[in-house]
Amino acid sequence: MYDAVVIGSGASGGAVAYTLCKAGYKVAILEKGRLIRREEFSKDELSYARRDLITPNLFDEYHVIEERVDGKWVATPTYESGWSFWNGNIVGGSSNLMSGMVHRMHPDDFRLKSKYGQIEGANIVDWPISYEELEPYYDLVEELVGVSGKYIPHQYEPPRRKDFSQPPTKENAVVKLFDKSCKALGITPLVTPRAILSQEKGHRKACYYSNFCGSYGCSSGAKSSSRETLIYPALATGNLTLLSNTHVKSLHSSKEEVKYANVVNTLTGKEKKIAARLFVVAAQAHESVRLLFNSANRHHPQGLANSSGQLGKNLLFSGGGSGQGELHEESLKEITLDELMTTGLFVNRTILDWYFVDHWWEGRFKGGSVEFMFEHQNIISRAVKNNVEEGKLVWGEALGKRLAKRFKEQKSIRFEIFNDWLPNDNCFVSVDESYKDKYGMPVGKLRIEGHPQDIKVGKYIAKKCEKILKKMGAKNIYSSISASASQNLVAGGCRFGNDPKRSVLNKYCQAHDIPNLFVADASFMPTGGSVAYTWTIYANAFRVADHIVAYLKKENT
Amino acid sequence: MKRRDFLIFVSVTGLSPSIQAREDNRFKKEFAKQKPIIKAVQDHMFPKQSNIPSAHSMQAIEFLLQTIAHKSYDKDIRTFILEGARELNRREKGKFLSMSKEKKEKSLRAYEETEYGRVWLSRIMTLTMEALFSDPIYGSNMQEKGWRALDAYGGYPRPKTRYLEDV
Repeated sequence: MYDAVVIGSGASGGAVAYTLCKAGYKVAILEKGRLIRREEFSKDELSYARRDLITPNLFDEYHVIEERVDGKWVATPTYESGWSFWNGNIVGGSSNLMSGMVHRMHPDDFRLKSKYGQIEGANIVDWPISYEELEPYYDLVEELVGVSGKYIPHQYEPPRRKDFSQPPTKENAVVKLFDKSCKALGITPLVTPRAILSQEKGHRKACYYSNFCGSYGCSSGAKSSSRETLIYPALATGNLTLLSNTHVKSLHSSKEEVKYANVVNTLTGKEKKIAARLFVVAAQAHESVRLLFNSANRHHPQGLANSSGQLGKNLLFSGGGSGQGELHEESLKEITLDELMTTGLFVNRTILDWYFVDHWWEGRFKGGSVEFMFEHQNIISRAVKNNVEEGKLVWGEALGKRLAKRFKEQKSIRFEIFNDWLPNDNCFVSVDESYKDKYGMPVGKLRIEGHPQDIKVGKYIAKKCEKILKKMGAKNIYSSISASASQNLVAGGCRFGNDPKRSVLNKYCQAHDIPNLFVADASFMPTGGSVAYTWTIYANAFRVADHIVAYLKKENT
Repeated sequence: MKRRDFLIFVSVTGLSPSIQAREDNRFKKEFAKQKPIIKAVQDHMFPKQSNIPSAHSMQAIEFLLQTIAHKSYDKDIRTFILEGARELNRREKGKFLSMSKEKKEKSLRAYEETEYGRVWLSRIMTLTMEALFSDPIYGSNMQEKGWRALDAYGGYPRPKTRYLEDV
């Protein structure tokens, strides 16, 4: 019997498995997807960016999305809409495919309610832990998993003990123009911490600036995926059994403990049971919740770990949106067109000036962070995006002219805003017996609605960002802020807290109801902060893993 | 917007293997029928003497067939591709292929005025762009001519197989 079974091999599953294996425990990772090795990852746009090859076919496995249309809740299966909520079902999960712009959460993100008060219609609570408790684990991720960057002190930059040990990845000359424009506007540009190595480290080579990063696996090992940084070293201990193509349908439990996982081999369809002393669910927020619902039994009729009735509630995405503008030769002063068009180098710029807003006219509220980058370099998608003029498709010779101009004479710079997706009663996961996947299990049903405050904050920040692009001389500037869910940034649904009546997990992400059940992914988060979740997911999973080691030691004695 | 809304005849889901084989056969036959229409539309949208390679020179029609026949392609959209071609020819009373360039332009712009036609034309254009700008391993974009036209190149490493299939 394994000491621990970890369900999912992404950032959190990898961190837990790594820690337990290093401590000498026998671990099995159950990963639904297959292993794609470093040398197998190519930059095949059709396969990685345009088809569901590393995520399930939506006719086989899907979600049901409930949105409000004309005042009524309308449920649409994703095989109808084509809106996939799967994120990288391969060994290492979606950490393989990230663009790696990561940040620590700010200390005030851990006490949002105390600091900013309640907002009507939002379920804001303070976290049961503080930044200080997570800080050593943020440090650990920076060193062990690898985050490159350059520390520039800023009032909203979380405190840190020392500078990054790896310098930032190389930058495109456009940063000269960007920094100058920001400074002219009284805005402080910061260097983006990136989960990508700028220098070789152990078995991992440095970034080779392929020009195709987000949505693709890394072929040098520079990207700090769970697979490169945690799974391979965990396998090297001899304590890890990696079971890929293994999908967990449900967990079997008594009143007091989980006994085994019911799994199905996704290639052969063969089912079996896998037993362990403890179980760690790390399948990404909405899927972890679904698994716990689908594991309901007579002892836990509302689903595992759900005596509070809070399972699935307060699902989070990321608020905000994006915008962009075009840089053309005639507006470039500090740099040449050739420098701008150099491919592969990063923009690496973050603005935190509006993370918290306290303004005599605008008011006092929690804001968000902004990342600046070039438009994704995918060729097909850039071509497809540029085939409409005044509502009509452009074709014939006009299309050829338009594309050549678009690709050769300008480059688009883009910003992405991350602000809190406020937890609310109309954003949650449930399951519905009338929608089942090909394995016969009910699929996750996601009711999704954002809070109006999220839009207000997003628009506030977008206006500021448009000013930066204008100052840079960009043309055709636009931005889009919406309440649409960011399906690749999911958290919440298994809130952690000290009160078993109001939370699913305790402060160590252990189920209040079942001591040998842990949930390690982002579902523990009661509020999401205003940065991408990745660094916090890694850090918290290492914290949880330390507690699991202590738990297993205690069980042994 | 639900994608099924664009289908006039909703395809049957959950087929048994024997029915599936018959379906595949039927698809091939139906494709052969609609192929000239689809090709004519591609050639009109991506003509010779443009800044980008023509659909004809890149064998975009073969790419389109192989792409929509592959299991990774959405089966409802596959049905829609054929259905939209049939609908175009029906609107033109079977005369689309024999039309002059100017008449084809008029016909396609009129088709674009309908929501159904607009979505279909947009699909054909996307599939043709996928041909021109995918890695050459997919059979089009020969000698990287599509990429060269835009001075934009796929990253390294390049794929050694189609659709992440094993070597």
